[in-house]
Amino acid sequence: MAKPQLPHDLLPLTPPVFHILLALSDRERHGYGIMQDVARQTGGALQLGPGTLYGCLKRMLSAQLVEESDERPDPELDDERRRYYRITPLGDRAVRAEARRLADAVSAAVGKRLLDQKKPGIAGGKA
Amino acid sequence: MSPFQRVYSLMLYAYPRDFRREYGKQMQQVFRDRCRDLAGSSGWRPAARFAAHLTADLVSSSARERASAVWTAVRKPGRRGFVSEWSMTIIMYLFAATTLVQAYVVPTGSMENTIRIGDHMLVDRVGYADPGPMGWHILPYRAIGRGDLVVFHYPEDVRTAYVKRVIGIPGDRIRLENKQVVRNGRRLVESYTQHISSYIEPYRDNFPQPPDFYTTPRGRDMLANHVEGGELVVPPDALFVLGDNRDNSADSRYWGFVPRSYVIGKPLLVYWSYDAPTADLQEWNFRHFVDVAEHFFTRTRWDRTLLVPRSQAAQEIGDGQ
Repeated sequence: MAKPQLPHDLLPLTPPVFHILLALSDRERHGYGIMQDVARQTGGALQLGPGTLYGCLKRMLSAQLVEESDERPDPELDDERRRYYRITPLGDRAVRAEARRLADAVSAAVGKRLLDQKKPGIAGGKA
Repeated sequence: MSPFQRVYSLMLYAYPRDFRREYGKQMQQVFRDRCRDLAGSSGWRPAARFAAHLTADLVSSSARERASAVWTAVRKPGRRGFVSEWSMTIIMYLFAATTLVQAYVVPTGSMENTIRIGDHMLVDRVGYADPGPMGWHILPYRAIGRGDLVVFHYPEDVRTAYVKRVIGIPGDRIRLENKQVVRNGRRLVESYTQHISSYIEPYRDNFPQPPDFYTTPRGRDMLANHVEGGELVVPPDALFVLGDNRDNSADSRYWGFVPRSYVIGKPLLVYWSYDAPTADLQEWNFRHFVDVAEHFFTRTRWDRTLLVPRSQAAQEIGDGQ
């Protein structure tokens, strides 16, 4: 796979890739931790199955958006060792650029009165 | 390892070898974690949803990983990887092609004009398959109902597949009165049928009657054992089927009921409809090949391409009993 160096070459990110990066943006997580966090972020709307999750991770590893961290047990689950993943600087820039792009799209939608602008939590909605 | 985990570890063989080696162990961990979380929830619904979701995930992501593995192998020809990826991929698609859908061509006109001579169609083999107790909740199974189109093994020669419309399901009382079907005492108005003759032939149009010349031994058996008070009563695990081209159809009137277990599936899609004589469609011949090459654009019925044959309910008139 070609390795794009600029985050802009990667945009737009697919929803699974975006949400996986979002899940990893605050801390490193193992596969199941990513799945749970993505489900939380989207209110359960996006449920990643194991195949989709690891397929995405494989492509994200080769695009250098994420990297493997160490293998260690998760104290909240059991004593089995799990592979942790962590976001790279490139991944961090990509997820920020994508969030910016989405925010711009949302503010355009607000400008067209497609969204209720009084609702809190819409970034960039200044119309 | 629980039985579910063993099943899941077998399912991982759908993925290409390299992918399985790299991520298989982690995927099983994730599966186990999810199962443990589900064990805390009550009822079977979350589990059924998880199973359906997992199956969809497996099908879509394994197809994607396989395609990408083949693509990589094509670009970087390492002999062994190339051959094994291709062969496994082909085996998987063949499996999908023979168990999930199957292609048929319709050579005769007993279902005109719902299904026409020369319709090439895909048949969904999952929809009417016997689901077992759990299957009802997980996969898109559906009971066979009146008005449904079914593809089944012709009981007189199981190598041949027939397509007809279901008129009677177990328990129904059927008779024909001057070409009109009377089911459980109610007259059916069937918008999908075609009548090519106004002549009333007693056996065909005022069924049931004593067997006639065309009634097969199975048909005679049906008439001898399942007629009560001038009506045919459909026994358990059997279907009474008729062709939509009612005056020119060899159907349950002549050769008896279709056993439930003979049902193959339901017509899913007409992917190509080509105007050709019956004989050419039944057996491959060179003349037909030339004919298709010559007249592909003019004899293909373009308006039937990608047509979905649908179940249709008949309107019922009367009180019934």
